[in-house]
Amino acid sequence: MEAGKTRKRLKANKALREIITQFYADSHRAKAEGRPVGWIPPMNGLIELFYAMDIAPVFPENWAPVCAAIGTNKKNFEYTAKRGFSGDLCGYFRNNVGYALEGINEENQPLDGLPEPDFLISFGAGCIPTMKTFQVLCDHFDVPVLRADLPQVAMEDIKEHHIQYAVAQMKRLIRFLEEITGKKFDIDRLRQAVAYTDEACRLWDELMSKRSTIPAPFSAAELGIMFVMVTRHGTEIAVNFLKGVLQEVNEKIARGEGVIPNEKLRLFWDNIPLWYNMKLFNYFEKWDAVVVAETYSAAWSLRMDPNKPLESIAYKTLVSYPLVSCVSLHKRLELIVKAIRAYKIDGAILHSNRSCKPISMGQMDIQKVLAEELSVPSVMFDGDHMDGEKFSMAQFQTRIDAFMEMLLAKKDY
Amino acid sequence: MSTKFKDLYDRHIEMIQEEQRKNERLAIGTLCSYVPVEILHAFNILPVRLWGQSEDISQADALLQIYICPPARHIMALGLAGHYDFLDGIVHSYTCDATCGLFNIWCRNLKPKFSFLLSPPYIDIDEAIEYSLAEHRGFITALENFTKKRFSVDRLRRSINLYNEARAYIKEIYDVKHRGAPVSYLDIYYINLCLQVLPVEMLISLYQDYLLAAKEMVSKGSGKYRILLSGSVISDVDIMGLIEQRGGDIVVDDTCLGFRLVQDRINEDEDPLTALVKYYLRRPPCSSRADFPARKNHVLEMISLFDVDAVIFMHQKFCDPHLSDHPFLKKVLDEKGIPQMQLELEEEEGLTGQVQTRLESFFEILEGK
Repeated sequence: MEAGKTRKRLKANKALREIITQFYADSHRAKAEGRPVGWIPPMNGLIELFYAMDIAPVFPENWAPVCAAIGTNKKNFEYTAKRGFSGDLCGYFRNNVGYALEGINEENQPLDGLPEPDFLISFGAGCIPTMKTFQVLCDHFDVPVLRADLPQVAMEDIKEHHIQYAVAQMKRLIRFLEEITGKKFDIDRLRQAVAYTDEACRLWDELMSKRSTIPAPFSAAELGIMFVMVTRHGTEIAVNFLKGVLQEVNEKIARGEGVIPNEKLRLFWDNIPLWYNMKLFNYFEKWDAVVVAETYSAAWSLRMDPNKPLESIAYKTLVSYPLVSCVSLHKRLELIVKAIRAYKIDGAILHSNRSCKPISMGQMDIQKVLAEELSVPSVMFDGDHMDGEKFSMAQFQTRIDAFMEMLLAKKDY
Repeated sequence: MSTKFKDLYDRHIEMIQEEQRKNERLAIGTLCSYVPVEILHAFNILPVRLWGQSEDISQADALLQIYICPPARHIMALGLAGHYDFLDGIVHSYTCDATCGLFNIWCRNLKPKFSFLLSPPYIDIDEAIEYSLAEHRGFITALENFTKKRFSVDRLRRSINLYNEARAYIKEIYDVKHRGAPVSYLDIYYINLCLQVLPVEMLISLYQDYLLAAKEMVSKGSGKYRILLSGSVISDVDIMGLIEQRGGDIVVDDTCLGFRLVQDRINEDEDPLTALVKYYLRRPPCSSRADFPARKNHVLEMISLFDVDAVIFMHQKFCDPHLSDHPFLKKVLDEKGIPQMQLELEEEEGLTGQVQTRLESFFEILEGK
């Protein structure tokens, strides 16, 4: 199977395309109008602050999947390699560094590319490749930088002093943004942004829970809808879009309409998707199998309290990395076990991802728990979420084919 | 080269076990130099840095993928082989992603009686000190619950004093080497390593003796190329030996074990816990905790302080922090006209023909300059 167009079946994808186009257009418009554009790491609680202060956010980490989907990742990798960076580094790092240092200057980029930053937020926190990506950017772009940090703490170990330290960082960020924009921060606007995020997360949780329906109304092939959870938190855009998706999904369920006509197997996916080959999620359909739950999509949802806006965004930022990584294997396993039960999973696919050590470490433990505690078979394949050269479709097929046949036999098909 | 410290290191596990038996002391493993060993020591606990190479790294395959850095895989393999069964617990302080993952996987599979993950701050602001104090108090409470002993500020003061003394001697050993004493870097490597794995109180007089002997030998210098060795967890003594044999003199290092750890002193004139968190926060940061300007400043400071002629980067395969820093540091060194080379170490590679050839070529280039 060639990496081609993913078969997406939700009508909402049309609205999503418009949202994606608008998101990038907004940042270009801000630049053209002389409003500051900030590049920020995927520290999730920052976005509400940006929208509350009318600042167009740019997420290099979100741009990377776009590059992978359109194929410009390879060129960006070359630009990075040319500067002496190892090919073993994370694909997001290699793409984003290559893009920022050279790819950004190319003509005729899809979505017009990214506007150059007017300021940068560089956090000591998150994974090392993200932290180092921003250090390269700070070295390259001659713009104001806020250097901040966050505790690296497991979700179940978060104490008051962790939250208070994160709140202190948010306050520093507010002072920095006030200086950059010359505008006064308005806590009521942040409250509103937090309320939008909370509502978006409520809708997201409800939407995801619908996938426990048999047959499942949509699969991981539709994961592009996550775009609003990453880039449009804090806005009504995410809320309205997710309401639309939920309505469509509810209608499908009412009609008893699954992703595929004859669902036989329900699968769980661990780790980041292969952004250059999202069609992989359709591969399972030839065995009437659907990927109905993932670790990655669960990480973007968190209920928030508009009455405590600063604490809410601080907490959201604190858990954004530990929730998906190996900061707490214990928490990760707990989430997986819960999902395996809730979504009535028959088998799990684990993407051993060379580009993401923090998410990949612990996967052997996940397999053990699946086998020993839940009697759920699993299979692991080698890949990379950004670099197609580190993924072999032939090897994937060999592994997956045997696994799917075993799962079908186990269910007496 | 004196073999005293190597011999001590080689026997450290049996010595610790004896200390556990005889004096009923607990031993707790540490994965990184950011673990505040002074606090463990104040509880009469022996901190033991997990270090070294396993005989069969493939044992780690069951728990860690092959694209995780070799040091993490070696430590996991050592743990699975029972090498560290004598430990009473494990403590880590978040630095790189790989060791954090290793900590989690270690805890889940080897089930230590005690485990703790500290999260130190990255930047030196007022709030960071307050935060770090709270974080360390949490660690102290966990140790109180585990040991059933009350924490004593006086004991911490004494532990800090001992570590200060030991670190000051090591720092001075670097200094006399720089001033021309024919001290092998391998000695310094094992001197550093001993402080990570053996009781500090046992080492102080040995360090003092070594320093006195080294001072006697200060001469005009070796005439060799003064090398700064930079990297993360480096335990390839064969390569260090070859560098010295081929005409290099490793006068200072920028690694997870060496000069960075002994460069500063914990202030003994203020509240001990406050002084301790300030020391760990303000010590020259490792790559995982530093931004580029901090790395640049530290490397250039070492070059100037030790009159370094050239830099050898010894990087572990798949080491995200150091591999990310390298092009930037290379650029800094190129601009200053300081020769440098990079060795990227594969699993079980050690001193291969290729490494030898590359080192040979590098020294030929230095000779031609």
